[in-house]
Amino acid sequence: MILIFGGAYQGKLDFAKETFSIAESDIYMCQENTDLDMSAKVLCNLEQMVLGCVKENIEAKDILTSYKDEIKDKIIIVNDISQGIVPIDPVMRAWREMVGRTMLYLAKEADEVYRVFCGIGEQIK
Amino acid sequence: MNFLISGGCKNGKSFYAQRIARDMAQKQNLPLYYLATMIPTDEEDRARIRRHLKEREGWGFDTIEQGLDICGCLGGKTVTGAKVNPKGVFLLDSVTALLSNEMFRADGRIDHDAPQRLAEQLRQFAEITGNTVFVSDYIYSDAFSYESLTEEYKKGLALLDRTLAKACNRVIEVTYGFIKEHK
Repeated sequence: MILIFGGAYQGKLDFAKETFSIAESDIYMCQENTDLDMSAKVLCNLEQMVLGCVKENIEAKDILTSYKDEIKDKIIIVNDISQGIVPIDPVMRAWREMVGRTMLYLAKEADEVYRVFCGIGEQIK
Repeated sequence: MNFLISGGCKNGKSFYAQRIARDMAQKQNLPLYYLATMIPTDEEDRARIRRHLKEREGWGFDTIEQGLDICGCLGGKTVTGAKVNPKGVFLLDSVTALLSNEMFRADGRIDHDAPQRLAEQLRQFAEITGNTVFVSDYIYSDAFSYESLTEEYKKGLALLDRTLAKACNRVIEVTYGFIKEHK
């Protein structure tokens, strides 16, 4: 599994497309619900799925571990929301924390981890 | 060489950028310019400008005031009346302020085309001068969406950063004084 993260608008998906030759049809854009399309090669905006989990009161990591085998050959792209102001809204606070827990799990499981900064991807694992 | 320096607020970006610009000017024996981008609107702003001027004392910077149309300063003069040499070393602090000026106009108008236009201007500025240190701010890791205008500004700044990261020879992130070279 390959994990790619970075702040908003940093060019994460473009980096993934250029580096791993991905077609548009390979990409599943996560929505604000608990669904994951395991037929897609790339799971993009995973933080949106995590927000769906927060609202359903489900731990996102539990869903990911239930796909332990399928996830091994995925590219997962997450917006890093961990470095800003602590949100006033309790749901957003819970979201921020659950994204953190999810990313810790993914980073541990991943074969490769990249951080994208101003369009430049750096391999950190 | 052109540099893009970014990172969080109050992390030591400006100090690091000042050193890079000064060293570059000294090594190549070139004039050293500080591009002041803030357009003061009240006494608080004017006090901040006085403080910044004091902090830069003794560094050898000649100040150029240019809050809009950044390439326009290359044919102009510094605050001391010297003619600007486009082949000098420029410290542009900051890209963030420049986008605010271009996007949120003094007359209250909002210029939605500002990010695209400024990205091209900054690319040109880097190409013409060849020795500019651009300072920006990394503001992309909040856990909520702002109202649409702030989000548009954030997206616009990210376009400028990505454009400059391509155009510059070096891209550096400063985290509490620690230096990370991305390019």
